[in-house]
Amino acid sequence: MTSETAGGADQAPLAGSAPGVRARLGRAVPFVPGFLMLAFLFLIPMAIMFVFSLWRTNSDFNVVADWNLNNYARFFNQPVYLRTFAKTLVMGTAVTAAGLALALPFNYFLVRYVSRGLQRAVLLAVIVPFWTSYLLRVYAWQAILGETGALNQFLMGIGLIKEPTTLLVYNDTGVFIVLIYVYFPFAALALYAALEKFDFTQLNAAQDLGARPDQAFRYILVPQIRTGIITACIFVFIPILGEFLTPTLVGGAEGNLIANLVVNFFRQSQIPEGSALAIVIAAFVTIVLIIFRRSLRVEDVVTRG
Amino acid sequence: MDSILAESTPTSAIELRHVTKRYGDTVALDDVSMTIEPGEFFCLLGPSGCGKTTTLNLIGGFIPMSSGELRIEGRMVNDLPPHKRNVNTVFQNYALFPHMTVAQNIAFGLRMEKLPAAEITSRTGEYLELVGLAGFDKRLPSEMSGGQQQRVALARALAKRPAVLLLDEPLGALDLKLRKHMQTELSRIHRQVGTTFVFVTHDQEEALSMATRIAIMSGGNVMQTGTPREVYDHPAGRFVANFVGETNFIAGTVTMEDGRRVFAIPGRGRVAAPTGSTDGPATVMVRPEYVRLRPVDEPAADPGISGRIVNVAFLGDHTRLTVSTDAGDIVSVRPHATNVRSTHLEEDLGQEVCVWWPADDAALIAD
Repeated sequence: MTSETAGGADQAPLAGSAPGVRARLGRAVPFVPGFLMLAFLFLIPMAIMFVFSLWRTNSDFNVVADWNLNNYARFFNQPVYLRTFAKTLVMGTAVTAAGLALALPFNYFLVRYVSRGLQRAVLLAVIVPFWTSYLLRVYAWQAILGETGALNQFLMGIGLIKEPTTLLVYNDTGVFIVLIYVYFPFAALALYAALEKFDFTQLNAAQDLGARPDQAFRYILVPQIRTGIITACIFVFIPILGEFLTPTLVGGAEGNLIANLVVNFFRQSQIPEGSALAIVIAAFVTIVLIIFRRSLRVEDVVTRG
Repeated sequence: MDSILAESTPTSAIELRHVTKRYGDTVALDDVSMTIEPGEFFCLLGPSGCGKTTTLNLIGGFIPMSSGELRIEGRMVNDLPPHKRNVNTVFQNYALFPHMTVAQNIAFGLRMEKLPAAEITSRTGEYLELVGLAGFDKRLPSEMSGGQQQRVALARALAKRPAVLLLDEPLGALDLKLRKHMQTELSRIHRQVGTTFVFVTHDQEEALSMATRIAIMSGGNVMQTGTPREVYDHPAGRFVANFVGETNFIAGTVTMEDGRRVFAIPGRGRVAAPTGSTDGPATVMVRPEYVRLRPVDEPAADPGISGRIVNVAFLGDHTRLTVSTDAGDIVSVRPHATNVRSTHLEEDLGQEVCVWWPADDAALIAD
């Protein structure tokens, strides 16, 4: 900025002159490492995948550079893809809703009624599971929900059931439970950040002005933590579109989500088919993010104003 | 029986009967009874922890009471939640809704009442006008100064046209000059709307300047209720005398000397005793503005209390002198009445003077 103004008003029309270009290059320098990282780790791999998605696997499972759109057409033609995708969306929505439904009261009581020091400790406890690997945590759930798992032994021990139940594992319910467990911390942390700033006397004020508790919650609290709610939705919903480990470990035969299909393609060396499906998911995620982002912006304008 | 019936006339704006509030083992309010009449500017005054804010929160319905009875406009409201009570509150931190404009803040309570849109708009305008914020309706609270936010909070509460407006130390966060201005404003608004105001403060000057009646509280009890003049001139006890205004407490003995009843301090100091005092050890309270000084050699009926000026503080409109005597330090305040061009100094640091006061400017006080 300084160099531009120092250049003097008389030089302004010569925007393309040497000092101007140099100044602009100078300002671009700090962005170079970030740009390189994005380019090598994100843009180029995506481009490669996109190119693959337009090619074809031959009968010897070799990739052939034969440009076509069949891999995309398959997604829309074969019901299993659309069905699995729809199921993934339902699962994502359900887990997001359940995560919010748990995280909101959790944070409300944490922020409103727990001392600051203790709040830190509780949040730490929420984060601690991240210190172990994702795979281990899901295996642990297998050990809890499985046929010879802790839950079944407990239920049989207290005589509630006679045979081990598999109602809660190797199906969509199992996936649902484990995904809530995995993504609750994300929802909780996103909402905590929003609720922490909230002044709870506003709820008293709202009730004082004639609002029922539910109205105070809806008109006063929710609008002010909307950023946190949307962030929580993004943190939970988007990663679930890429979830394949949890369905693999506790989902059984019926538990597949859309990412499992991508993984299957790659395992079978059907790289173009898998790439196309991955690109479809990525495109969908981008659209969802754009929608979320727009509502975030509106929120920013309203609160900062 | 008669008196109880008289007390329960439905015309009282607020009535507390034997109200107790306990937090675990701590008693925040101890069997408090008080009656606030319609149209009063009633002030709950006391140091922090005296129970004044608890009283306000009980009336607002934000905390349940442990025992007793609370009536608003004659109606028992013990179990009524805040949103069903005909009282509104101006909160200490204003508690404005930051995501709403000024107009939306004021309209919120009216929307909850489900008033017609036209009525909401006209009332919002009316109360913005009342608090002197006409034209500010599209602003957000964050774009306003503390004083303006305070006015919005006031308009928001008043727009509901409550039977009683509760104000919880609303001027505490404002700087001195603004606070003085808002005191005048609050008095004007009170006169204009005629609503009963119940005001909580720890600032005695605020209470004296605005209230029609003051209840002075301490340790969960009401120590005295009265008009500002009553509590200032006739404090019911040492606590009130000390809390409201500055006071000299002087310990001594009332005795008969030469056929006159005098108040004697240890040593030779004697002043005329207040009328109606009886012999024996006593403490008198005398406000600094009643304490007079005279030269030690000036002849007078009473010997007075001799002492030495140990501090002189010139405060513009008045001068505050501290005199060290056998009865301890006595503070005297005198208005600034000398001619501006006068170079005459009335008192000086270190000067020996005689302290006295007209007998009935002092009062005996129970310990």
